[in-house]
Amino acid sequence: MNKILRVVVALPAILFVVTGLRWLINPAGVAPEFGLILLDGVGRSSQIGDMAAFFMSLGIFILMGLVTEKRSWFYPAIILLSLTAIFRILAWLLQDAALALNLIAPEVIIAGLLVFAASRLPTKA
Amino acid sequence: MNLLVKRPLDKIYLRVANTLVTFILCLSEFSQAEDATTPTVPPTASRPNIVLILADDLGFSDIAPFGSEISTPSLTLLAESGISFTNYHTAASCAPTRAMLLTGVDSHRAGVPNIPEMIPPEQAQYSHYQGTLGHNVVTVASLLQDAGYHTYMSGKWHLGKTPDLLPSRRGFERTVVMADTGADNWEQKPYLPIYKKANWFADGEPYNLPDDFYSSRFLIDKTIEFIDSNMGDGQPFFSYIPFQAVHLPVQAPQEFIDHYMGVYNAGWDVLREQRHAKAIELGLVPADSKMVRMSTTHDWSDLSAGQKRYQAKRMAVYSAMVEAMDHNIGRLLDYLKRSGQYNNTVFIFASDNGAEASGLANPNTVLGRFLMRRQGYEVGYEGLGLKGSFNSLPPSFASAAASPLAYYKFYAGEGGMRVPLIIAGESLPIKDQQSKAFTFVTDIAPTILALTGTRAPKQRYGGHPVEPMVGRTLLPLLKGEADRVYSTQDAVGYELAGNAALFYGDHKIVLNRGPVGDSRWHLFNIVTDPGETTDLSRVEPELMQTMQKHYQQYVELNGVLPVPEGYNGKIELVIKGLRDRFGSHILIALLTLLILMPFYIAYRKSNT
Repeated sequence: MNKILRVVVALPAILFVVTGLRWLINPAGVAPEFGLILLDGVGRSSQIGDMAAFFMSLGIFILMGLVTEKRSWFYPAIILLSLTAIFRILAWLLQDAALALNLIAPEVIIAGLLVFAASRLPTKA
Repeated sequence: MNLLVKRPLDKIYLRVANTLVTFILCLSEFSQAEDATTPTVPPTASRPNIVLILADDLGFSDIAPFGSEISTPSLTLLAESGISFTNYHTAASCAPTRAMLLTGVDSHRAGVPNIPEMIPPEQAQYSHYQGTLGHNVVTVASLLQDAGYHTYMSGKWHLGKTPDLLPSRRGFERTVVMADTGADNWEQKPYLPIYKKANWFADGEPYNLPDDFYSSRFLIDKTIEFIDSNMGDGQPFFSYIPFQAVHLPVQAPQEFIDHYMGVYNAGWDVLREQRHAKAIELGLVPADSKMVRMSTTHDWSDLSAGQKRYQAKRMAVYSAMVEAMDHNIGRLLDYLKRSGQYNNTVFIFASDNGAEASGLANPNTVLGRFLMRRQGYEVGYEGLGLKGSFNSLPPSFASAAASPLAYYKFYAGEGGMRVPLIIAGESLPIKDQQSKAFTFVTDIAPTILALTGTRAPKQRYGGHPVEPMVGRTLLPLLKGEADRVYSTQDAVGYELAGNAALFYGDHKIVLNRGPVGDSRWHLFNIVTDPGETTDLSRVEPELMQTMQKHYQQYVELNGVLPVPEGYNGKIELVIKGLRDRFGSHILIALLTLLILMPFYIAYRKSNT
């Protein structure tokens, strides 16, 4: 993988890490960006725990892939992003949710980018 | 009560203290027929309405009755129907003043020894140094509400912005308040980057300002709305109107600015001299009183023609803002006359501290314009004072606003502490007179209680121990029964951010810290020398010693804490503000770096 591709892949990874940290440190500030109101009690615990873990995991998986140059590290991130995009569409179809194209589009684009980056890495290290 | 209690010990301490105090007071209450929390309620007809108006950062000579060239006919009318207090003193910064004004208790005991934005961490660990109005004090609004008054507030609060600290929980029945140090006068916008938004509240809930907002007009509109909503129900009202005028950003409608274009072309020294001469003519200061020239005053003659034009307009906008405030006070007076309530209303007008001198000497530079644009403001000449512009007074013009006094806001010099006070009303026996008696901001709450026949709580209120009021009623002065309320042996102490003073008869000792002060004690006779030009500390060493002893007693009695070495309030404000506003961003950036670091190291290793 060349340097430009590394940088392009590293940028969303850093963004995911930052988003995870924002959920931990300033959840009231980041919640509205996902159309959420910060809940109280168990609801807040679930919001912060699940969202922070989701984004931190995404970032760390991608960074691990970049450092080890093992394509298998990209797969969990690709699966998480793809399923999120698909489930958002299902939520729109089945659960009267809004069609959040502004969130679906980056998820699909980054998942596609990771598939491409993975294809540039050797199958086995 | 020992006030020097660190917060971690608060719970244990308070529990023990409360139990002891409750026990002692329960015993004493058996022997006292008097219930301090039950107000005396005279018949409604004999109780006046009270309108308490507080200007923000208004200097000693900024209104016509106090020697200003600014047109303030409404305040002149009030001065003619009451007494102008020419030796009235307040705290040199806004929140401590507001705490003392509303409670009659020293700012250190009321929990507001400084504005919260300027309290350093070394002091903030103490429970009485939080900068928010403590629950150990009772506001005059609570007492009047208990006594059957309607209580309204429209304006700046700045004594806490959490729900339990807002005025709707401190005795005010209807409120529209701005909870910060200041805010824009034309729209709901913060004036400093330390705030994310301008925090307005109505009746305790977040509030969005209307599109046609201008602060002074809006606050009087709301006051009239509140008063009108209960008119005719037989209950008197107490209306507290703390204006934003003339706090930063200094802004005013164009029609008022037009009145002052060209008026200040001769500069700040000439204006300071003119106001001094007028103050002598009006008898506000002795005919032989002198002035100092502040070290922060620049030479007008050094300015270019363009700079003079710009500086003159800065002052013109300032004067326009004062006149706009007065104009809207006039609207309130007209309304009260039309509705038949004027004759039964007592008006109290004061400023919260001396003139503000925080404006840059020349904000209209490349850097100044860049920084202001980051905050969403323009500083150019044309739109100065209008919506979207940021105006301020430089120290040189602030010194003229405080003429003939020395220093200005934040400092314990007379220019920071001595401000106009007018108490007026058709029902008061004395009209159009001046009082040279020493008076202090803590006197206002007891005076309001005396005017309304309401009793102050002594030690308990609402089942809790409270701080007793230390101020004195000015009623004997208003009735002409006395010419002073503090004897020559009464000492009144003051401290704010290390700047300190003690008033004792006609004398005052004062210590002003840097950057303008020399951090040394000086002694002045502020009756014969209100400009603080002649230091008497070497001429009268015994008096100096006596007053310093009184000051030490004040420090011990009120839990005054020393400021940390090198403390600078404005730097503290910036640091705390940036931490509050951007602290989480900085933390996220640092943690991100920490997380990325091992990946980067691993990547570098794998490539070597």
